[in-house]
Amino acid sequence: MAYLEINNVVKRYEGHTALAGVSMQVEQGCVYGLLGPNGAGKSTLIRIINRILAADEGTVTLGGKKMTDDDISHIGYLPEERGLYKKMKVGDHIVYLGRLKGMTKPDAVASMHWWLDRFDLKQWENKKVENLSKGMQQKVQFICTVIHRPPLLIFDEPFSGFDPVNAEQLKVEILALRDQGSTILFSTHNMASVEEVCQQITLLNHAQVVLTGSVDEVKQQHKKNIIAVQTPDTIEPNDALFTLLPTDPLRSHDTMIKLASGVEVRDAIAWLNEHYSLTGFTEVLPSMNEIFIETVNSTKNTTPQQQ
Amino acid sequence: MNKLRLIIAREYMSIVGRKSFIFMTLGMPLLFILICAVPVLLAYLNDKGSDTQQIAVIDETGRYAAALHSDDMYSFVALRGDTVTDAREFYDKSNGSIDAVVIIPRDVDSTGVVNIYSEGTITPALVSTLRGALTDTIEAAHLTAMGIPDIQQMIEKAHVNVDVRTIKWSEAGDEQASSTEAAMGLGLMLSLITYMFVLMYGAMIMNSVIEEKTNRIVEVVVSSCRPFQLMLGKIIGVGLVGLTQMAIWIILLAIVGTVAGGAMGLTSAPAPSPEAIAKVQDLGAMQAIMQQVMSINYVPIVLNFILYFIGGYLLYSSLFAGLGSAVDQPSDSSQFTTPVILIMIIAFYAGMACMENPSGPMAVWCSIIPFTSPVVMMIRLPFGVPIWQLLLSLGLLFGTALAITWIAARIYRRGILHYGKKASFADLFKWMK
Repeated sequence: MAYLEINNVVKRYEGHTALAGVSMQVEQGCVYGLLGPNGAGKSTLIRIINRILAADEGTVTLGGKKMTDDDISHIGYLPEERGLYKKMKVGDHIVYLGRLKGMTKPDAVASMHWWLDRFDLKQWENKKVENLSKGMQQKVQFICTVIHRPPLLIFDEPFSGFDPVNAEQLKVEILALRDQGSTILFSTHNMASVEEVCQQITLLNHAQVVLTGSVDEVKQQHKKNIIAVQTPDTIEPNDALFTLLPTDPLRSHDTMIKLASGVEVRDAIAWLNEHYSLTGFTEVLPSMNEIFIETVNSTKNTTPQQQ
Repeated sequence: MNKLRLIIAREYMSIVGRKSFIFMTLGMPLLFILICAVPVLLAYLNDKGSDTQQIAVIDETGRYAAALHSDDMYSFVALRGDTVTDAREFYDKSNGSIDAVVIIPRDVDSTGVVNIYSEGTITPALVSTLRGALTDTIEAAHLTAMGIPDIQQMIEKAHVNVDVRTIKWSEAGDEQASSTEAAMGLGLMLSLITYMFVLMYGAMIMNSVIEEKTNRIVEVVVSSCRPFQLMLGKIIGVGLVGLTQMAIWIILLAIVGTVAGGAMGLTSAPAPSPEAIAKVQDLGAMQAIMQQVMSINYVPIVLNFILYFIGGYLLYSSLFAGLGSAVDQPSDSSQFTTPVILIMIIAFYAGMACMENPSGPMAVWCSIIPFTSPVVMMIRLPFGVPIWQLLLSLGLLFGTALAITWIAARIYRRGILHYGKKASFADLFKWMK
């Protein structure tokens, strides 16, 4: 049984359907990517999990039990549209949100100190939020999300607006939380970060799940049977086994070949090895970015418009 | 419940801790004192600044000039001569040391006309001083001339001021002296308090809602509590801020009142000057007013005031919260607040109109309709209101207030997450469903 299960969730608004029967299973302790273009329904799904919105149909279970309002204390949520009370002091702000999630005051204060220390923000505890730089405010937002050490963390576009240094620190912290047993649901457009941190993904488009599975599986499913071959020789095409792909000699010295359908990698390599002096070869898997674009484009016309 | 308490506490502290709150709380009474004090101060400076005016008096009758007493402002100098030409000559020769010339003509007893001449301005104050002094003296002279003994005392005896007292029959049959003035004053005060409170703090709630939205903090908060809790927390928190502010004002008023009263008591103590005597007479009037004020039955009024105050505040503040959730920026809020403020202004004028006839059909209807009842009923209440009207009005007010809170909560839930396109009233109706 998965930790977070979404079963056939439907959400309709006046005039359009935001989610048309979405299901997904998030295993405990994994980093799960929820992907999709703008307007696919990611934010709606996340708000339903957070019980900000109610689903019209379907269920959400957490740890095997149907979610109730009390379960929101088990979730830490960093929304895409996020901010802070500008006039509040940093320490008070973190403690307030921690207590709102059900922490006792001493617990919240202790946890606040620990996190401020970890992010080098200790001297800012009694400063007003408005005096902080944008980067520091983002760190405070992150602390507010994790202050109550929730078993389920939901990040909606966590890296948007972060500079590369802070984004890296955030990534390290997210992975550290996963290692401590937290389950992380991660919604983003940033495919590079998906490849780095996610084990599982679900791709939403037009209110429906169009792709789901582990990152490795998905890549295998979408591979184009392309091999990068390293050789000093010039390879001639062999239509029975493979075709040559155009390459840019300035960027890569590899020769890219695409296997003909039904041809096994080892047969092609054996043949190449016989005829040329190979120094190495790698199977080229598509990037998540390519898979994303390909899947979204291919489902664009097949799904009926829900307007 | 615990979350609601946290939200209330944060909302309360976030406003009370602000500099603008402290400024406002202390500044408002100062501003009020200033508004009251400035005209008095200006009048004082006006009197103080001018020199004593020299007024020449030509009394053709030879009997009335003595009635004009010189004081700080005017110095009257009797002048021989008996024509306007003499007066003119004298005025020109004085080279400006005489400000005006008064001529009391020989036939003043029959015509009652006195002339005053000057090249400069003749102030209304001088005219009224002359009128007052001469009228009294000439009138007294006429009475004496009639030759009836003790006529002054007879006139004083005959003089009467009719005092109309209103006495209310209760249903039990006993009589109770009541006063329309005191009742009206009290009603007006309570209605003004409700009105001001709802407008000021309703707008504060709206700003607080919009601020959370523009800050983009609201989604984090509603992922930790229900939107309804957040809205209710705001309404209660801001309400407590309002009560705090009013309490501070009342304490300040009490301090100022005590200090001012003490100071007045000290200055009037030494000698029984004419002013002190006048004050004793004022005290008599004060006592009468106090008696009237005491005669009002306060328990039901205060009890009802609290109920209407809570009901009215809940009704309007949730309306403001719901509407505030639909806008992104304070500058966009006017399209939604205008109708609400219009209703409030109507309520206020209806209340004013009801003072004329507190049991008329308009007063009755406006005190039953929930949107106007908190203001109008306060005006009617001291005059006595049939119990069925009171119960109907309160029932409708609380029923509507709860319904509006519920509707506002639904709008709020959707509105706080709505960004971008400006919401219209049509959108609000959709969100209500």
